[in-house]
Amino acid sequence: MRTTRRHFLALSAGAAAVAAARLDFAPAFAQSAPVRLGVLAAKAGVLAPVGESGLRGVQWATDRINAAGGILGRKIELVIEEESSPKDTVERFRKLALQDKVEVVTGAISTGVGLALGPVAEEMKTIWLAWDATTQKGVEETMPKPKYSFRSTDNECEAVMGSILTARQWKGKFKTVAGINPDYSYGRDNWAAFLAIMKKYGIELSVVSELWPKLGATDFTAHVAALQQAKPDLIFSCFWAGDTPIFMKQAHGAGLTKSTKFVLTTGGGVHESLKKDFTPEGAILGYNCFYFEYARASALAKEFTRWHQEKFKEWPNYESDHGYFTIAAYKAAVERAARAAGGKWPTQDAVIQALEGVEAESLSGPRRYREDHIMEATFFQGVTTHKNKHDFVTIDPVETMTTKQIQKPSGVGLYDWINGWKV
Amino acid sequence: MIRPVAAVLAAAALLGAPLVATPYQLTLLLPAFAYGIALLGLNLLFGTTGLLSFGHALFVALGAYTAAWLTTRTPVRSLEVIVLAAALVATLVAVPVGLLCVRYVKIYFGILTLAFGMLFYSFLYKFYTLTGGDEGIRVLRPTVLGQAFASLDKVGFLTGPFYYAALAVLAVAALVMRRIVRSPFGLSLRAIRENADKAGYVGVGVRGHRFYAFVIAAVFGAVGGALLAVPTGLADPLLSYWTHSGNLVFMLLLGGFDRFLGPLVGALVFILLQDTVMSLTAYWRFVFGAVLAVVVIFFPRGLLGLLPRPGGPA
Amino acid sequence: MLFLVAAGLQLVFGVQKILNLACGSFYALGAYTGVSVVTWALGWGLPAPLFVLPLLAGGLALAALGPPLERLLRTIYDRDESFQLLLTFALVLMFEDVIRFVWGPAPVQLRGSYLAYGQVTVVGTTVPVYNLVVMLAGALIAVGMGWVLTRTRFGRIVRATAENREMAAALGVNMHRVYRRVFTLGVVLGTVGGALVIPATAAVSEMAIEVIVEAFAVVVIGGLGSMRGAAVGALIVGLLKAGAIATWPEVEMLAIYLVVIGVLVLRPAGLFARATP
Repeated sequence: MRTTRRHFLALSAGAAAVAAARLDFAPAFAQSAPVRLGVLAAKAGVLAPVGESGLRGVQWATDRINAAGGILGRKIELVIEEESSPKDTVERFRKLALQDKVEVVTGAISTGVGLALGPVAEEMKTIWLAWDATTQKGVEETMPKPKYSFRSTDNECEAVMGSILTARQWKGKFKTVAGINPDYSYGRDNWAAFLAIMKKYGIELSVVSELWPKLGATDFTAHVAALQQAKPDLIFSCFWAGDTPIFMKQAHGAGLTKSTKFVLTTGGGVHESLKKDFTPEGAILGYNCFYFEYARASALAKEFTRWHQEKFKEWPNYESDHGYFTIAAYKAAVERAARAAGGKWPTQDAVIQALEGVEAESLSGPRRYREDHIMEATFFQGVTTHKNKHDFVTIDPVETMTTKQIQKPSGVGLYDWINGWKV
Repeated sequence: MIRPVAAVLAAAALLGAPLVATPYQLTLLLPAFAYGIALLGLNLLFGTTGLLSFGHALFVALGAYTAAWLTTRTPVRSLEVIVLAAALVATLVAVPVGLLCVRYVKIYFGILTLAFGMLFYSFLYKFYTLTGGDEGIRVLRPTVLGQAFASLDKVGFLTGPFYYAALAVLAVAALVMRRIVRSPFGLSLRAIRENADKAGYVGVGVRGHRFYAFVIAAVFGAVGGALLAVPTGLADPLLSYWTHSGNLVFMLLLGGFDRFLGPLVGALVFILLQDTVMSLTAYWRFVFGAVLAVVVIFFPRGLLGLLPRPGGPA
Repeated sequence: MLFLVAAGLQLVFGVQKILNLACGSFYALGAYTGVSVVTWALGWGLPAPLFVLPLLAGGLALAALGPPLERLLRTIYDRDESFQLLLTFALVLMFEDVIRFVWGPAPVQLRGSYLAYGQVTVVGTTVPVYNLVVMLAGALIAVGMGWVLTRTRFGRIVRATAENREMAAALGVNMHRVYRRVFTLGVVLGTVGGALVIPATAAVSEMAIEVIVEAFAVVVIGGLGSMRGAAVGALIVGLLKAGAIATWPEVEMLAIYLVVIGVLVLRPAGLFARATP
């Protein structure tokens, strides 16, 4: 037994030494070897369309960068795994880190997965650039000072912006409100944020109905009936998946879209399915961080949109931009760190330091990572219109707000921040 | 003749794995051990007693959430306490659920267990102040034998002390289950599976025996669940979804449900299969479905069923 | 529409004693196929109000799946029921990926047809006429099924086989043919149900897995093996859901399981059962 343990210790010491030596050698030898980036993209279930969207952004970024010579001469090689349940995704992450030995993992959209991956990224000492999944719990409770995890914009940003627009546009024009939101953290957080902001703006309202269908539900007949009974002036919903067009279709079928104001904070994610047939004009619709027909879009955005439409016969949504930015940010950080290191491929710590505060051009304009590892971006929302050449609604006018206006700064609680506003 | 040698070789391989396998391969073995324990329980229920539960994942989830609750809401960190607590919680829940479920057999039993599994899933999802909802509750790193092994990072911990702890729990669980299966109680269970009416005539308390089997299976499930949650670091509601129960049954069938080591072999093969196939294709569900279909039609006795049966009961 | 799926489940169980987990998959297949067929038909110039026809045709066409699947299941008829359950579970997994492969992971919806028949105001609430059409269709099918089972020779054979398999075989009934027809009928009930629902909602990849739970609930509440039970059960489940949403939305998710468990505890055979638990 003692012999075995000594052997074990000797072996592990030896293994560690070899591993350490390899790490030191790696930059010199690997100057032209590809840099491997792991991707966790959802492929099934309600997350599948968004996962696919993010993956497209990542792949487009990768192809462009590789066509231009790669990062510091090294081509990017993507290792793609599936995001599914938290348990399985954690195992995929470990595989990417331990077996495929990727430099960075990009991806993750589901809140449960996001919560699980944070600690795992720290344990595996692997940089993780998330696409989504930023809940307050994930940020405050579990990862107050992350080193390796870089998160996306807060989940409440859309509700915050939607609420501000509602207050500006419709203050005094509605008295009763109904909420229909998916029954999980995202739905609850957004609804709570909306109510808090209405209160802050001094808007007197009464909630006549609060409905909580499960995420991805496909039948809202009973909900629509309940809404018809409650007769709200305004309906607030942060639906973002396939449930959005189904709900609108059924609401329209019951006549709700004629007289009720709608605030759809995140419906723009599935904008192409919001057909003119059943989506009214005059609703506030949010597109998260990317609007495909923004008049003042950059050449980069226009090129991406054109490519996306030609290749997939679909117009892109926000998750592609999140995916794109993670790659662009990584490249920018590596280059920034390399400049400080005299042109050599930087160490991981240097990359992390460079990521903090890094600015890179995303498809929707400049974005950056804050020092506390939260993303800063621009959000797009607006009022729906049928005046376009598509069979689905678009928005006009388009309002943009940056995270400086709608995302709480680091170190402050969400509701404390809202209460501190000057309106 | 063959079995003892094979057993010794397997044991040696498992014990020595940390010396030769890569960290990743070792982290793959951990859920295999955990599932192995959970499946030992399911095997008692299905293989020995003939009751197919489509809700076993409920207890696995229960064990995971127990581990999560203890490590995040109480100062408890000891793995041993967590395992015992999981067993206790499982017993508490299994008693009422079991009393209800064992009144029925076969299809009804399957549907009822499925319903309970989904009920727990909904409960976990809805009562988010208690359970964390869709985000789940974290499972913090436990101590093994009172030692925190703070000098090791999580991977080192998982592939070192925790690996051996899990293996130890598995060994203990297997030995305990072996005693149970070979005891008069176990024989009665098998009699019930063969022909419940006859067993009843002979004086075996059919419902009582089924109930005890149910509770024991639940305990094993929860212990497995607690061990499963530690590497993941999170307990989330999906652990209780009915397709997770389906996977458990799949594993059991794959290994061989009327062999003692069936659960362990099934868990291992399933994990390895999942790991390879998931990385190869996005359509892994199809592959798994096909494998399951093939096993059900052609190899109902599972992989171990391909081997000749040793003399005497398994 | 839950009734149709549940009816399919009941039929197959009653006669063949197989609980088909894949009934949800048929529902999904009917939905997806429905969208494809109608979109194609409309693209060909079919006048909008007639869209119901290709919709139904799509659902009925999927009956072709019945015989081959039944042959597959036949290989394990003699085994323990648990194996049958597992085989159908395998089918669920495979169909899910087949659907994903053919139609992609994003939800698929039908354009415009939902309101092709306009709306109507009934007791103060506006309702698309299509909803009424679907309810009518469901009722017609229910009545039709009842008539087939009680009045036709085929129906009598089906019921006889359900009562006593051996006797029916001894009396010269061709078991294989009966099983094949029954199974195909079960498939069609599911696919037509899925197709009919589609104009109002959208086809999503998880629909198979989720409708299973509800279908089981209906079957349990109504009692395994009974058609009437399926109808009543579906009605109860529907009312319960609506009731929960109207009065206490928070329990919407839990309500159905609690009722299932309640029924199983209090009246284990369900409300109209024939099969013993």
